[in-house]
Amino acid sequence: MKKSFLDYVLKIRLPIVLFVALSSFALTYFVSRPERDGVGYEPEQPIAFSHKLHAGTMAIDCKYCHADVTKSRHAMVPPVATCMNCHSVARKNKPEIIKLTQYFAEGKPLMWKRIHKVPDFAYFNHSVHVNKGIECQSCHGNVQEMDVVRQSNSFTMANCLDCHRNAPTVLTYVPNVKKGPDNCFACHR
Amino acid sequence: MDKTNNDTAGHKSRYWKSVGQYSQNADASEAKAREFMQGVTEDFSPDDMSGISRKQFLALLSASAAFAAAGCTNYRDKGEIVPYNKKPEEVTLGKANYYASTCAGCEHACGILIKTREGRPIKIDGNPDHPVNQGKICAKGQASILNLYDPERLKEPQQKFSGMGFGKTTWKTADTAVVAALRSAVHNKKEIAVITHTIGSPTTKKVLNDFCAAYPGAKVYSYEVFTNDVRRKAWKHSTGTDTFPLIAWDKAKLILTLEADILGSDGNYIEQTRLFAQNRDAANPRSFSRLYAAEAGMTLTGMNADHRLRVRPDAQIELVLSLINEIVVNRKTSRFANDAALAAVVNGYSIGSFAKKYSLSENTLKCLADDLVAHTGEAIVYAGSTLPENVHTAVNLLNEALENSALYRKDQSAVSHIEHAAREEWEALIAGLNSGAVGAVIHFDANPVFHLAPEYGYADALKKVPSVALVESQNETSSLCTFVLPIHHAFESWNDFHTRTGIFSLQQPVINPLYDTRQKEAALLVWTAGNTDAYTDTIYHGYLKSRWQQEVHPAMNTAADFSAFWYASLENGVVGFTEPSASFAAAGAAVSIGTNQNGASDSFIVMLHDNYYIGDGRFANNGWLQEMTHPASKIVWDNYAAIAPATAKALGVKNYDLIELSGHGMKCLLPVYEQAGMAERVVAVALGYGRTVAGTVGTGVGVDAQKLLTKAGGVSPWLYADFSVSKGNGTYELVSTQEQHSLDDSFVKDLHFKREIIREGTLAEYEEHPGFIQDERHKPTTITKSVVYEGVKWAMSIDLNKCTGCGVCTASCNVENNIPVVGKDQVRRGRDMAWIRIDRYFSGTPEEPTVSVQPMLCQHCDNAPCENVCPVVATSHSPDGLNQMAYNRCVGTRYCSNNCPFKVRRFNFYDFRDQFADGIQQEAPLNMMHNPEVTVRSRGVMEKCTFCIQRIMEARQTAIMENRPLKGSDVTTACQQACPAQAIVFGDMNDKDSAVSQAIANDLGYSVLEELNVRPNVTYRARLKNV
Repeated sequence: MKKSFLDYVLKIRLPIVLFVALSSFALTYFVSRPERDGVGYEPEQPIAFSHKLHAGTMAIDCKYCHADVTKSRHAMVPPVATCMNCHSVARKNKPEIIKLTQYFAEGKPLMWKRIHKVPDFAYFNHSVHVNKGIECQSCHGNVQEMDVVRQSNSFTMANCLDCHRNAPTVLTYVPNVKKGPDNCFACHR
Repeated sequence: MDKTNNDTAGHKSRYWKSVGQYSQNADASEAKAREFMQGVTEDFSPDDMSGISRKQFLALLSASAAFAAAGCTNYRDKGEIVPYNKKPEEVTLGKANYYASTCAGCEHACGILIKTREGRPIKIDGNPDHPVNQGKICAKGQASILNLYDPERLKEPQQKFSGMGFGKTTWKTADTAVVAALRSAVHNKKEIAVITHTIGSPTTKKVLNDFCAAYPGAKVYSYEVFTNDVRRKAWKHSTGTDTFPLIAWDKAKLILTLEADILGSDGNYIEQTRLFAQNRDAANPRSFSRLYAAEAGMTLTGMNADHRLRVRPDAQIELVLSLINEIVVNRKTSRFANDAALAAVVNGYSIGSFAKKYSLSENTLKCLADDLVAHTGEAIVYAGSTLPENVHTAVNLLNEALENSALYRKDQSAVSHIEHAAREEWEALIAGLNSGAVGAVIHFDANPVFHLAPEYGYADALKKVPSVALVESQNETSSLCTFVLPIHHAFESWNDFHTRTGIFSLQQPVINPLYDTRQKEAALLVWTAGNTDAYTDTIYHGYLKSRWQQEVHPAMNTAADFSAFWYASLENGVVGFTEPSASFAAAGAAVSIGTNQNGASDSFIVMLHDNYYIGDGRFANNGWLQEMTHPASKIVWDNYAAIAPATAKALGVKNYDLIELSGHGMKCLLPVYEQAGMAERVVAVALGYGRTVAGTVGTGVGVDAQKLLTKAGGVSPWLYADFSVSKGNGTYELVSTQEQHSLDDSFVKDLHFKREIIREGTLAEYEEHPGFIQDERHKPTTITKSVVYEGVKWAMSIDLNKCTGCGVCTASCNVENNIPVVGKDQVRRGRDMAWIRIDRYFSGTPEEPTVSVQPMLCQHCDNAPCENVCPVVATSHSPDGLNQMAYNRCVGTRYCSNNCPFKVRRFNFYDFRDQFADGIQQEAPLNMMHNPEVTVRSRGVMEKCTFCIQRIMEARQTAIMENRPLKGSDVTTACQQACPAQAIVFGDMNDKDSAVSQAIANDLGYSVLEELNVRPNVTYRARLKNV
C-alpha cells in the first residue's frame, strides 16, 4: 500500500498532537490546582498589617475588628476608623501606622487586596455560620499565625459541601452539630 | 419547465457552488475533478517530512508542558475590598435600613417605607404606621424607584441658546437670570405665573406665599388632569360646604358605583381597596358586601362587581333620577317622599323605561332598588369624578334620602391647600402671555404644554415670555423654556404633607442628590431671597424645620421638646394630631337638581379616563410601569380606543384597525380594541400616553388623546358626546399578554371553568352547602410514596374574593427580584418576564361578560413536572417544599417551561437589560437599583418565582442569630407585602395554627389543575359572587 500524506497525518501527527495536548492538560490540571482555587494566595497589602501580632500575640478577638460577622452576611473589613481606635495613641511613630494615619486623615479609601472570595453565584452568609459556633479558622485557616494573610482552604462548592454533609465528623469541636443544608437554594438564588 | 430555464441549462448549470464554477473557469473544473487537494494523497517518507528526532521531540514536549504549567502558576486577582474610611453608625454592611418617608407620585401623598442597602434605596413599600395607606403602596409608588435612577434625569441646569438648543449652564447663571427677569417683571408691573400640580404640603404653600410676597404680581396656578373638582362643586351645590366627605367603604353593605373606578383610579384606590376587601374575606363569606357597578368602560371596579350594568356615561343621570323616582316617589321612602318639587324633577324617569331604553335587565334594576331600600343607612351610591355635576348632585340627594350619610367618614376628611385654577384664570393667564401682561413663567414640576387642552394655545403663548422649568427630566413644557433646572427626586427631598385632617406625613431624603440638582422649593427660596448666594444644601430643610418648630410643634401640645418631637416624627414618618374633620350639612332637596335633564343622545361619546399605571404621563419613561398589563385588556405599552364588539361590528372594524375620532374640530387616530362589556357607541381612551418629550423609553408610547380635551368640556371636562367615529386607514398592532378568548367559540368558551382553573360560586350556593367547592375537587390517588416534609414547608394561599386584579403584586415583585423591562416587541413574542402575572378570564357573552382574575405564579408543586425533565438538574426540590432554580447550572434547554402546566417559567431569550432600548437598563446609575440579594440573570437561563428565597434566607439568618426555630410568620413575600387587599397569605403549612394552614383548609380552598397530581403549594380560595 502506498504511504500517503493522509496516512502521515492520521497515524503520526494526530496521535502526537493528542498526546501532547492531553499530557499537558493533565500535568497543568494537577500542578495548578491550588492556584486555580486560590489556595496559597498571599498578596501584598497596602499596609503591612500582621494578624499574627494582633490576633495571635495580643489575642484581640476577631470580632473586635470584623464586628458584623455575627449580624450580617459580610464579616466586614474594618473601617480605618476602627484601627484608629488604638493607633491614634499606640505606635504612632511606626512607618506603617504613619501611612494608616494618613489614610484616615485624608479620608482616602484603603484598598485591601481581596483574598477570600466565594463565586459570584453563591450567597454565603457569615452570621449563620458564626452564630452556630463555627470558628473562623475552620475556613480561613490559622490566621492568628499569619504575618501576611494567605488563603489556606479552597472556596469551592466541593469544599462547602464537604463540611455541610459531614459536619459531625469535620466540625467535632461544635457541640451537637448537625448537617448543613445541601439544597440549591441554601446558597444559590 | 419553461423555455427560459431550458435555455439556461443549455450552456450553464442551473445551480452553482461558486462564482468560479458559474463562469466555468479552468481551476474550478480541475478542482472538481480531484477528490482531495493537491499533495494530500502523494507518497511520503517520514524522514523527509520531519527533521525532528525522538530526543528533540521529547525535549519539546516536556518544555511545552512546563511552560503551560508555569503560565498557570499565577493566582487570579480577586480585586479589592474597600472598607469605609469612617463607617456611618447606622450602616451594617449586608443589612437593610428602612426610612419612613412620603411618596410624591400623585396628589394622595401616601406614607412609604424606603429600604436602603449601603445607602442606596432599593425597594419601596407602604409605611405600616401611616393611617391612610397602612403599609401598602400602588404600582406607581413601587416602581418610582426607577425614576430616581433614570439615566435620563437632568444632571445639571440647562439653558436654551437661541438657535442652538440646550446647553449646560450653572445654577448661579440661571439664578441670576431668573432673579433679573422676576425683578423686571415686578418693575414693569407684570404678572409672574407659577404653574404647579396639586400642592399637598403646607410648607411648600408657605414657600409659594413667601415668593408671592417678595414678588408682588406673582400668582400660583395649580392643576391636575383628573380632579375631584366636579364632585366637590356638586357637593357645595348640594350642601353648601366645601369638602366632599370620605366614604367608610368597610361599613358599606351595598355599594353602587356610577362610572366610579373606586378600585382602580378614582381616589386613593389603595385605601379604598383595603376597606372594600375587608368585606370580601373567604374566612367570613356571610359578611360580604354587594357591589353594583354601572359603567360604560370595563374598569377594575366593574370587573369585581357582583352586578355590572352597562350604562353610557351620559345616561347615568337618567339612572339616578329613575332610582330616585322609584325609591323616593313610588315607594315613599325618606323625608323627601312628599316633596312635590322633587317629584316634578324625576317625573318621567322610571327604572322600567330606563331598562328598556338601554336594554338592561329590569329585574336587576328592581333588585338594586330593593337592596338600596333594604340597606338604608349602610349603602352608598358613588358617582365617578368624570361624571357631570348634575349626576353628583342627584347622587348626593339619593344618598341623603337613603340616610347613607351614616357612611360619610367623620374621623377624617380631605385637606386642600391651593384650589385648582379655574378655566377663566387659565384664559386670563394665556391672554396675559400673549399680550405681554405676564412677565415670567415658572413651571414648578408641571407639564401644562402636554396636559392643558390645546384650545388654550399654551405652547404658543409660552414662547413669548421668559420661562423656567423645574423638572426631573425634559418634558414637553421644559423643552420650550429658557432655563431648565433639574430638581431632586422625592427620595432626595425634604417635605411635609397634609392631605387628610389630623395627619402630617413627612418626607426625608434617603440618598444624597445624585446630580447637581436642587429641591424645587429650595430654588424658589433662593429666588425669593433674590440673592444667588443664598443657596445651601440645607436651605429648605432648615425652612421646613423652622416652620415645624414655630407652627407645628407648639400646636401639638406635647411634653417632648422640639428636637425629640422632630426626630420621633421623622422616624415614624407620620404625625397624628387632633384636628376637626370637615363637617358636612345635609344635602338639600330637589332644588339642587336642575329640572332640565337631557338624557343621552344616540351619538358616539368619547370617554377620556385615567390610566392605571403611568399617571398623567409623568411615569411615561418608567419601563416597569409601561409594561404593566392593563387589568381588563392585558395590553401593555399603549393606549387604545376601547369599543364594544357590537359597535366595532357596526363600524366595520376589528381589533388593531385604526379609527378616527372627530368632534369639536379635533381629530384623533387610535387603534381599536374590542373590549367585552363596553357600553355601545362609547369610546373609552386612556390619557397620559403619547408623550413627545419623555426620554428614550416613554417618547411616542401610545397616542396623545389630551388633544381631545376642550376648555369648556363636553358632558363633563372628560366626556365628549356627538363625536363621529369612522374607520381610518391602516392598522396598528397592540400587544397583550393574554388574548380576549372568543366568547362565542364553543371550543374555547369558558375553558377556565371547564379546566377548573377558576372555581366560582355564589354566596347563596355557599350558604346552602359550604362544602360545594370541596365536593367538586379532584382527589387524585397515587401508588407512589409521597415525600414527607419535616420542619417548615412553605405555602401560599390567595383569596380570589379579595383579589381585584390591580397588579400591585407584579410591580412589587419586579422591583424585589430585579426583573428587567423587555419592551413591547418582546412581549409580543410572549417573552414578558413577570414572575407573578394576573390572568384574566371572560365568560358569558361579549355584551355582558363576567370577569375572573387569578394571580398566577410558580406553584412550587410537590411533584413538579419541570424538575423531571431538566437534563442538567438545574431545577430541583428543597426540603422545605420550594421548587429551586439554580441559574449557574441552567443551560437553557427550556424543557422545564415546556413541561410546566401553569406556564410560569420565564426564559431570558436575551440579556434583556442589554437588548431593550439600546441597553438603557445597563447605564449608570441604574445598576444601583438592583436588589443585591438577588442574582441579575443573564441571557440563556430560565427563571421564575422563588417565593422570595432571599427573604426566607434573611428570616432564617435572624432565627439562627436569635437561636430560635424559623417560623412561617417570619417571612413576608414581596407580593404579599404589597397586596392592598391583603389577598395573599404566606407561611408554613406544617404549622397547623398558621394563617396559611387555615386558609388552605378553608371551605373555598382549591388548587389549579389538581387532576394532574402535581400537588401545588399555592392554593386559591374560590370567589363567591354575592348576587
